[in-house]
This record gives sequence, structure tokens and C-alpha cells, in this order.
Amino acid sequence: MTRAGRTGAGVTRPGFAWAAPAAVFFLLFAIVPLLLVAVLSFTSWDGITDPRFNGLDNWTGLAHDPVMLQSVGTTLLLTVLGVVTQTPISILLGVWAAGHQRNRAVLSAIYFVPLLLSATAVSVVWRAVLDPNFGVPSQAGWLFGDGNLLGTRAGAIGVLTFVGVWQFTPLHALIYQGGARAIPQVLYQAAAVDGAGTVRQFFHITLPQLRNTVITSMVLMVVGGLTTFDTVLILTQGGPGTDTTVSAYYMYQKAFKGFDFGAGSAIALVLVVVATLISLAVVRLSGYDRMRSSAEGL
Amino acid sequence: MSPRFVAVAATTALLLGMATACSSGGTSADGGSGTIHVMVYGDATNKVEKQIVETFNKTSKVKVVLDTVPGADYQQKLQTVINTPQAPDVFFNWGGGSIQPFVKADLLLPLDGFIAQDPGLKDNFLPSVFNSAVVDGKPYGVPMRGTQPVLLFHNKKVLADAGITPPKTWDELVADAKALKAKGVTPIALGGADQWPTLMWFEYLYDRIAGPGLFQRALGGDPAAWAGEDSRAALAKLKELVDAGAFGTTYDSVKFTDGGSPALVAKGKAAFELMGSWYYSTQQDANPDFARTGLGYTGFPTVAGGKGDAADVVGNTNNFYSVLKKTKHPEAAAAFLKLMYSDEFVKAQLAIGNLPTTTNTANFLDTAASPEYSKYQYELVKAAPSFQLSWDQAYPPSAITPIHVAVQQFFNGKLDADGFIKAMQALSTS
Repeated sequence: MTRAGRTGAGVTRPGFAWAAPAAVFFLLFAIVPLLLVAVLSFTSWDGITDPRFNGLDNWTGLAHDPVMLQSVGTTLLLTVLGVVTQTPISILLGVWAAGHQRNRAVLSAIYFVPLLLSATAVSVVWRAVLDPNFGVPSQAGWLFGDGNLLGTRAGAIGVLTFVGVWQFTPLHALIYQGGARAIPQVLYQAAAVDGAGTVRQFFHITLPQLRNTVITSMVLMVVGGLTTFDTVLILTQGGPGTDTTVSAYYMYQKAFKGFDFGAGSAIALVLVVVATLISLAVVRLSGYDRMRSSAEGL
Repeated sequence: MSPRFVAVAATTALLLGMATACSSGGTSADGGSGTIHVMVYGDATNKVEKQIVETFNKTSKVKVVLDTVPGADYQQKLQTVINTPQAPDVFFNWGGGSIQPFVKADLLLPLDGFIAQDPGLKDNFLPSVFNSAVVDGKPYGVPMRGTQPVLLFHNKKVLADAGITPPKTWDELVADAKALKAKGVTPIALGGADQWPTLMWFEYLYDRIAGPGLFQRALGGDPAAWAGEDSRAALAKLKELVDAGAFGTTYDSVKFTDGGSPALVAKGKAAFELMGSWYYSTQQDANPDFARTGLGYTGFPTVAGGKGDAADVVGNTNNFYSVLKKTKHPEAAAAFLKLMYSDEFVKAQLAIGNLPTTTNTANFLDTAASPEYSKYQYELVKAAPSFQLSWDQAYPPSAITPIHVAVQQFFNGKLDADGFIKAMQALSTS
């Protein structure tokens, strides 16, 4: 008797049919477009006339395009900066929000606000706040110098990272809050009996117990970072020059501003491959794929 | 999770574009039923377009249906429908490179036939404007809406306080910049984050130093034009102005489109701004008092020894109506286009602050929103031997981003003259 089909408790395992709606949806809206884009990447298409096959032209073009290489670098840089800055802040906030302090609910609600705003609105607001002549930098020269934040590569990347933290930390804090709430209280009680203080409890109980949550949150951050688009579109338009032209924005420029959909499709494919490799790497290196489900019987 | 996410994000848009472009199964019920569709950029000016369509429909058997597409989506929408049964019969555009891909795809009707039947379709428009919708020697558009030459605006009070008058020559401008800087004022406001305002400085300086020929040669497919002595001279003059601190140090963090650079001028923190003629209404919206009493304007200064005529202007010559080849009612389209030089059209445009480019415009200038300003612009455009369409609109769309990147990088020092020339030479002209 194999294990398949039945478990010890006599409960039937869910059949594949349950996954059919999702599978069809996935096929229609992910796999089919992906294949179409793969085909388009070997064509020259302006969106008006019929696509014309041009072999590897788009790909060799990209390989010799310094902006493409730079855009992959900028995308990775922004992704790494996002993970490095958002993770510690959201763990601290999330663990804090999982407790029962006074005013916690009110403050948590306030922290959550940035997530409710659209990225477009957020970007417009930060643009105004960071205006060198009429925004905060004009009042705080000691901190911002001449205030040319979005006019230099370092400044623009700093602003994009900061806006990312401001906007997405609430989401990840929420995930960590859930994770922290799921840690059995007996662990803390036992630790307290043994004389461990808050800090020790945090490093020896909370953090190890949050391991799965960290990976979930990081995969989300990596995917979000690799597909960064709206804030770049509104805050920097890829500038100054091409300094913040991330791959997703470069794809948009090629396809929708330059009407070169073939080259745009090739960039899209590069993004798909890079994102797949990175998230596979995150899952492998973290040992996430070897973890067992904690739901009983599955 | 991640491949799906990326795939969806990165390709839904592409797929949507394709689905629209390929869905030729749609019904085109309007074909034989006596209507033509006119697609326009959706904004405040639609008021006039609606009025003209009403006038036309009163007497015409074939009725015009006006489709207004929100401005931000206009280009994408046009691009996706133009080769489908849903394509409009007549559509709004910017002339030059903006219609070139359509001409290449053989979608547009050359207007020679219309003009042969009614020479007024050409003769009633200012030639410098009419010519910017001529592609490969054939006219493809009739001017509509208003012209938008680029002017040098200034804050009168700031200039008076610094004891200077609007500059007539480039050397005066450079001297003024130094005087203003010494007084702690940013000499020239620039919305560098938008990139296209920076481009305006290149357009004028190249025209003044080399004349309109250099750009026409380059656009015609001769990249060597960019490498000549005149080109280098123009770049050197620009560099000199940037290095003198005329634009301050933060221009690449400032936008025109969100009101950043106009506010600098209105509040007296900067003296000059080079901008299209819509600047007047921009200031009128945001700072009405300043627009009424404090805002001055002149043409771009002359450059000593330059080959270009000091009366040349650059900017958006106008918008145009082009006609699709496959329209079922060309005669109705022709009749509709004739309204673009009618008295009614001119009066309606002037009343909302636009400056039409017809020869009869002069008769109605007194009815304009600001007669003095309209007259100044009209005389400027009428007298201009050359009206250079903005580079980013004269070139095909694929060149827009590379041009913008190059001008921004030249200003912030990432590209030197050689780098800029190389970038311009790499642009595709077809």
C-alpha cells in the first residue's frame, strides 16, 4: 500500500482537479504571454506593421548595449539595497507590533498607511518633499547640501531606496507580526525562567523561529526589487542620464516610447531569467525547499 | 512565484498591445453608414474641437464622430489602433517624426489631392508651420490647434533689481548670468529632470550658430553633420554657460511639469526660463499676479558670427490632422479639414488662448485671451524664415530616449562634446 491517495488518518489527499482553475489561469496569463514574448524577441515589430523575424538581432543588440548591462546592475543594486534596508526595520517593527504594549494598535495602523497609497501618489509626494528649492532640502542644507538629490546617481538611488523602505516596510512588518505571533509563548516563559532578558530572547528565540518568515519576506522583496518600475517612472524617469534606468523601465522605454517591441521583449525575457535564477538561489541557499510542511498529514 | 510575477508584470502590457493590434475580427459598422471618426488628444482644447464638429455635422451628410483619448494615453492608443479596423479616419498628431512610421507603413493619405482641389488647404496656413508635416516631399497634415514657439521668459523685477535688460545677444546673456549669480539669484531656471527643457537650449544654439541646415542634414541621414565645426562651437558655448553656473547646480532635480521651475521664476529665485509659449498660461494658472505684471518675454538672443537667422524659432510648430488612406469618405475628410482655416475655428482657438497658424489669424488677434502676447507670438512665427520642430519630435520615436539622455548627460558632465556627437550620430533616422 503506497502512501499516495490516502493518509494514515483516512483523509483523501486533494486531487489535481482542485488546482485546475489556477493552472488554467496561470497558463493563460503567464505561460502563454511568456511564450509570445519569447517569439517577439526574435522579431522586429513597431506595433503597426506585421512583426518580421530578424533572427538574433535584438539579442546581439542587447549584448552590445551598455545601457542594458548597466540596467541589470542598477536593478540588482536597488534589490540588494531594498533587502538590506527593509529586512531589519520590518523585523523590529513586526516583532514589536506582535506584542501587547499600550497604543500598539494605533501606532501599527499609522505605520500601515504608506502601503495603502498607490506608488504613483507616493512618488509624486516625495518628489515635492525633496524639491531642492521649495522642499525639505532647502531648509536643511546641513544635511542635503545643495539638494540635488535626484540629479546625481548616488542621490537618486538613495531616494529610490528610501521611498521603497517607506512604502514597503509596513507590508513586511505585517508578515513578521504574523510570524512572531505564531511563536509559542511557552518558549519565552521557559527562557524567562532561565533568566534570559528581552534581547537574548529576541536573538535566541524570536529570530530563529522567524526563519521561514524571513525567507518568504525576502523572496517578496527580491521580486519587488527586480520589477521596480513605477517609482522610477515618476521620481527619476531613469535619470539623471541612464543612472537609474532599471531593466523594467528600460523595457518600457524600448517598447512603448521607442516602439521597438522586439527589443522590449528581449529585455523582458532577460528579466524573467534573472528573477527566476535569483529566487531559486534564495530558496536553495536558505534550505527552504527541504523544509517540511508543518500541517499534519500532508 | 517569482517567474510568474515577473512574467505577468513584464508581459501583460506587451500582450495587451498585441491583442489590440491583432484583433482584426472587430466590427467596423461605421464604414458604410456615413460617419468618419476623428481622434484627438484629450484635454481642455477639446471644447473647440467639439464646437467645430457640431458646425460640420449641421451641413454634412457624412457625420463626424469625435473620439477624445486622454492625453497621457494618446500615443499608445494611436499606435495600437492605427493598423486595425478600429482606426480613426482623421487623427491628431505632432507632424514630423511622430507620423513618419505611419507614412513608412503606407497608412496615411498624401494630401496633394485635397490641395489640388482646394489650394486653400495649403495657402491659408503659415508655410513654416505647414512644412513640418511634410514627409518625403509630400504633405500629410493640416495644422490645427495653436503654435508653440519657444521663448526666453524672464522675471521683470529680478532683472530690474540686478540692473539689467533682457539680453539681445549671447554675450549679453552670459554677462547677465554672471551679474545675477553675483546677486545670489539663479540666472536661469531649468526643469532638467524632464529632460526636454534642456533640449530646447541645444535646439536654439545649434540653429543660431549653424543655421537650420545642420539639423536637416542630420535628420536626412547624414550623421557627419553632427561632427562639424559648427556643432562643436554650439556645444562649447553651451558648456561655457553651464560651467558659469547659469543654471545653478540642482536643475536635474527640478521639473517643469510639476511646477518646479516656473515657481523659481515667479518667486524671484531665478531670472530667466526658456520655454514653449504655453509658459504664459502655466504662470497664469499658478501665479496669476506674476503672469499679469511681472512676466516678460523675448526671443532667443543672437549669437555673434552664427550662420542662423536671428529670426528663426524652434518649438512645436503646431498640431496636425492627418488622414488615413483607407478612409471610406475622403471627400468628407477634406471638407472637415477646410474648417481648420475658417474664421470660426480661429476665433474659438484664440478665445481659449491658443494661437492658430492660419493667414487669417491676424484679423482676430484682438479677440485673443491676451492680445499683446498673441500678437507678439504671431509676428514672431510669421516672420520666422525657419521654424525648427523640436528634435525629439522631428526624429522618429525610437530616438526620443537617446536624445533626452544625451542632452542631460552633456549638461551634467557625463558626456563631453565627442560623446554627445557620438550619441547623436547613433540615432536612427528612419
